[in-house]
Amino acid sequence: MKQIPIHGDALVSPDKPKANLIYKNLGSKLKAFWSFFEGNPPALIGGFLLTLIMTMAVLAPVLASHDPDRRVARSHVEPSAKHFLGSTRSGRDVYSQLLFGAQKTLSVALAAGAIAVFIAIGVGVTAGYMGGRVDSYLNFLTNVFLVFPQLPLLIVLAAFLGQVSSLVITLLLGLTSWPWVARVIRSQTLSLRHKEFVISAEVMGESRWRIILVEILPNLVSIVFGGFLGTTIYAMGAEAGLGILGLGDSTEVSWGSMLYWAQTSSSLFTGAWWEMLAPAMALALTGGALALINMSIDQMSNPKLKTGKHMKLWKKLKREADQRRGLV
Amino acid sequence: MHYIVRQLGFYLTAFLIAISFNFMLPRLMPGDPLDALFSATQGRMDETQMAAIREMYGFMDGSIIEQYLAYLYSIISLDLGPSVLMFPVSVTQVIGQALPWTIFLALGSLIVALIIGISIGTYASYHRSGFFGQVVPPVLAFISNFPYVVTALILFYIFGVQLDILPISYTYDPDLTPGFHWDFILSVIKHAILPMGSMILVGVATWVFNMRNAMINVLGEDYITMAEAKGLSSTRVMTRYAGRNAILPVATAIAMAIGFSFAGSILTEVVFNYQGLGNVLLKGIVARDYPLIQAILLILVVAVLTANFIADLVYVWLDPRISK
Amino acid sequence: MSEVLLEINNLCVDYVLPNGIARAVNNVSLSIKKGETLGLAGESGCGKSTLAFSISNLHKAPALISEGEILFQGQDVLKMRPKTLKAYRWNNVSVVFQSAMNSLNPVISIAEQLTDVIRAHTKASAKDAELRAIELLEIVGIHKERLHSFPYQLSGGMRQRVVIAIALALEPELIIMDEPTTALDVVVEREILNQLYELKQTFGFSILFISHDLSLMAEIADRIGVMYAGNLIELGLAKEVFHHPIHPYTKGLVSSFPSIHGPKETLYGIPGSPLNLLDKPQGCDFQARCPDCHHKCQQEVPRLSSDTPDRLVACHNL
Repeated sequence: MKQIPIHGDALVSPDKPKANLIYKNLGSKLKAFWSFFEGNPPALIGGFLLTLIMTMAVLAPVLASHDPDRRVARSHVEPSAKHFLGSTRSGRDVYSQLLFGAQKTLSVALAAGAIAVFIAIGVGVTAGYMGGRVDSYLNFLTNVFLVFPQLPLLIVLAAFLGQVSSLVITLLLGLTSWPWVARVIRSQTLSLRHKEFVISAEVMGESRWRIILVEILPNLVSIVFGGFLGTTIYAMGAEAGLGILGLGDSTEVSWGSMLYWAQTSSSLFTGAWWEMLAPAMALALTGGALALINMSIDQMSNPKLKTGKHMKLWKKLKREADQRRGLV
Repeated sequence: MHYIVRQLGFYLTAFLIAISFNFMLPRLMPGDPLDALFSATQGRMDETQMAAIREMYGFMDGSIIEQYLAYLYSIISLDLGPSVLMFPVSVTQVIGQALPWTIFLALGSLIVALIIGISIGTYASYHRSGFFGQVVPPVLAFISNFPYVVTALILFYIFGVQLDILPISYTYDPDLTPGFHWDFILSVIKHAILPMGSMILVGVATWVFNMRNAMINVLGEDYITMAEAKGLSSTRVMTRYAGRNAILPVATAIAMAIGFSFAGSILTEVVFNYQGLGNVLLKGIVARDYPLIQAILLILVVAVLTANFIADLVYVWLDPRISK
Repeated sequence: MSEVLLEINNLCVDYVLPNGIARAVNNVSLSIKKGETLGLAGESGCGKSTLAFSISNLHKAPALISEGEILFQGQDVLKMRPKTLKAYRWNNVSVVFQSAMNSLNPVISIAEQLTDVIRAHTKASAKDAELRAIELLEIVGIHKERLHSFPYQLSGGMRQRVVIAIALALEPELIIMDEPTTALDVVVEREILNQLYELKQTFGFSILFISHDLSLMAEIADRIGVMYAGNLIELGLAKEVFHHPIHPYTKGLVSSFPSIHGPKETLYGIPGSPLNLLDKPQGCDFQARCPDCHHKCQQEVPRLSSDTPDRLVACHNL
């Protein structure tokens, strides 16, 4: 429906730069942090799962029951008190592998996400802020990367390099998955560039760097963070994909290499489902948790997506009004 | 028209970049990749055949530019040399058999996911505070972000192994002769359900969210209020007036999704032993069949670029403003 | 001229917001006679557009018509079931929105936006609907070659004409015009208004004309109503209200617009800013900005009362 402004102060939120908000004191930050989760079940579930997974990864040496790299049981032992998630065909403890694998997989995914986002900020903000010829070159570059099938490209690169270490995979993923984030950042920068507060900063003679750092970047925080989570999810999936194709270093313990060994041992056919499903479910839960947080961020930065308590009140009042008019 | 020409120019440039990348790849690798290649064939090739492959790759005497032109020529004439893996069958032939299945899987699942996602997204935008607006989107976001292989493996295990109700290998029943008859078509559909289903599960949330957000933006526009004031049926307002415009930003997202869908197809094929390019690629990797691997990358680039170009044409048709 | 076409009684429209309920239209009653032009004035956010939207029952969340009735030829619009409401919309009341750029769908052709409303309400065939569409375009002075254009291919003035053509399509009894010319330059505005009045002569519809421009309204309306913070604060014959405003807010509104014809006068604004609807004071809503505020104004809400027939004012200082 048409938004009819009843009144300037009451309805339209002031179009102030969010800069002040972000650099405000710690107390309000914590409050904002809490209000993100309050009354938002998806964010709560996502946050809880992610905290759990991260804790398990960090505390892997403490929590693990066995050495993940050593043969500690017979082949394909069923889950039991001694081996919570059973053993692999080669007699490794799946539970311990899962914990240490979390370390490797999460660090690959998070690092790749961070690399991608850094490139994306560089390319996107430069293109959006500079405009003109710089923009058209960078935009062309972004579009070329965007239309190339990235995963096949990765697969071929990895194939040429032979089995690659997780460090190489991290770099390859980071260097190829930035373009869509860059595109979003560019268009957002482009629209911020014409906002009053940026123009006034320019007129006041502030330096380019200062404008980018103080006026523009703080307003990109939610987009950047969303992009980071998105690329992290993608990188995790790609690592798993490369792993199952046997392109990762299968001697390292990661969720991807666990999938590879489970696949080569046909564990799903021989009834040893735990070997395959343990890393698969770990990947699924992590991906899902990241996505729930990502979705909540999106909802927060786009007020139109919000549905608060007042909508429930509206529904109730509407029903009552309809009843009075004999429409129900 | 101007827009289409410009896009075509862009895709041709992108294609040229892909070819150049392919040309550079073996030259950037440590050592002589062709030596590794020839050792992988384990003496199945004779000297003249090896020379032919060298030539195909532009590894011949002369400057790098001459080598590059020779390579370009071999690609334009579709002469990609013999496959090492299936020697002496040519790479073109191997790909020709597998490509249609990958296109079927990648584009088929994309289209189905689009239809389902757009419908759910539209509905969710209208019923924002109900079940469809509050519960369905987060559940979908959760499920859709399982990695491709994981979703494929889970479906594989539930429906293929535990329940054992759907085939988990091959593109159709190998006992059947391909042709345009019911048994064959039914078999193709049956074999496609699990791989396609897992790809749809992964893809659908993107469209739900894109469509919902676009619809919420469009529903605030004056022309929607005007259409309602005109007393048009709500179906017409929702589809023709709101949906039509909300599709536009969704259509721009398709460009990115095409690449993802092909990538997803590659991985899904490996899990379900589906006889598409992904499967051939895996075999090529194991056998170190570099000509085959590179040709697959190239053909995937062509497929994705073409699909993108088609998406552009559709976009021009959808939005008359773009072609001005 | 005397037969009542539309009667609004005690209408209240609320906005249910996260930080409270804002009453955008507060207990407003007024009527529109057959063939009459009623002007509704006030600053942006005073509730005039919200009121107009209610007449077609177009409000959606978070807006809610909480009280009152809207009688169109005796039938309450708010009690209509969906099917009746759909038939009532455009057939009886059509709307010309503020900005033609935004009220025409950018990716649907003019032809379709004209014919779909005809076909939704009549049994006309596609062919007949198109002939009618051509006829309508010619009525508003647009060549029939433009029929298959898209909105972006037309100028601002042409687009607004197209919107008026669509509004005329079913020859409704009432056309609501929500600031129909604010987006246009003065010359085009003049052309369109003149044309509108010729059309009104021909078809005899009533107009609810919404604008913040009182001098324009004095020229074209029969009566003018002035709204402030959701309340109807003054209502009377157009010339009377414009030349002899009584309510201090109307006075401020009249003197804040330059007159094109009259002698040079000093312009006065209205001090202060519009009222926060979530934080209304006790007593008169205008007290904070009123140059003549008494003790009573801070205690009691002024009621609309008449001291001469045809003139209603809500102010304690009468």
